[in-house]
Amino acid sequence: MAQLRFGTPEVETTDKWEAQMRKGCLEMAVLASLWHGRLYGLEILRVLERDSRLVLSEGTIYPILNRLRAEGLVQSQWVEAEAGHPRKYYELTQNGRERATRMAETWTEFSAGLGFLIEPVLKDKETERAL
Amino acid sequence: MTTSDKQMNDYLARLRAALTGMTLAEREDIVEEIRMHIRERCGDPRTSVEAILAGLGPADELAQQYRTGLLVQKAQHSISPLVLLRATLRWATTGVEGFLVFVIALCGYGMGVSFLFLALLKPFFPRNTGLWAGPGEFSFSFRMGATMTNPASPVRELLGWWLIPVCLVLGSLSLAGTTKLIQFLLRRFRWKVPFVTTTNAPAMMAM
Repeated sequence: MAQLRFGTPEVETTDKWEAQMRKGCLEMAVLASLWHGRLYGLEILRVLERDSRLVLSEGTIYPILNRLRAEGLVQSQWVEAEAGHPRKYYELTQNGRERATRMAETWTEFSAGLGFLIEPVLKDKETERAL
Repeated sequence: MTTSDKQMNDYLARLRAALTGMTLAEREDIVEEIRMHIRERCGDPRTSVEAILAGLGPADELAQQYRTGLLVQKAQHSISPLVLLRATLRWATTGVEGFLVFVIALCGYGMGVSFLFLALLKPFFPRNTGLWAGPGEFSFSFRMGATMTNPASPVRELLGWWLIPVCLVLGSLSLAGTTKLIQFLLRRFRWKVPFVTTTNAPAMMAM
């Protein structure tokens, strides 16, 4: 369905807007994926896809993790794995936990406020569908 | 060595060569992480090395994401005009927004350096350096020819030796202001993310 609509100016604009919005949340999503413990790059990609439906290209996650590490928000460690090769695990630092908490609070406040604002839009849409 | 191994090693060699501007340890750490990612993904027999490498994107682009990340990260905490200019130049390659920031940086630092240079020239060329005012003109500049000694010239120099402290202050303010502005803008740098989508929609190019 969505593929059929690809290429029309209106949908392209919507896609760009949606992509911009998702990009803005990416750092928060990566930090949140590490909240329960350490993960390696591929695991983070799978958690993001499974829990938030965010799909990144595989090459994207590693530069992001590298930047978060340079900012002191995550730390990494090579660990010998049963798979027969080592894996580089990432975990949140104290700064990373604080940043993730602040981002989650801001996000919650923002989405709650916006949710109140767009509620009538969704209600009208539902009414139209019912008719 | 199998074809798959050769493809992987070629890709990693290109990545290693493109990862400039970082220490050997940082470079090898990145290359090893990508190598382990490829091996991990190769564990799935339905996935080919070609598909994995396509997912990672061209080695040059992957390296550029690392380099840009580290450069912008470094620049956010740096006061060196050279580091900040390099970071904005890299940003300029990503779009109009970055290009505008680079132009702002270039103009700001250019103005600052020009003021300091004028202050430096004044002791050596006191009659050619100044704040000139005349019909339709008002500018800080160095002028060839002895405008001040020509009584017929309508253009006059206003500051005299005060030009030195004024230019030093204006130059310093320009450099410091540009540095602060660029640091502020770099903190708002948005990262290029090739694919961000949902699992129930087709993948799309985010930028």
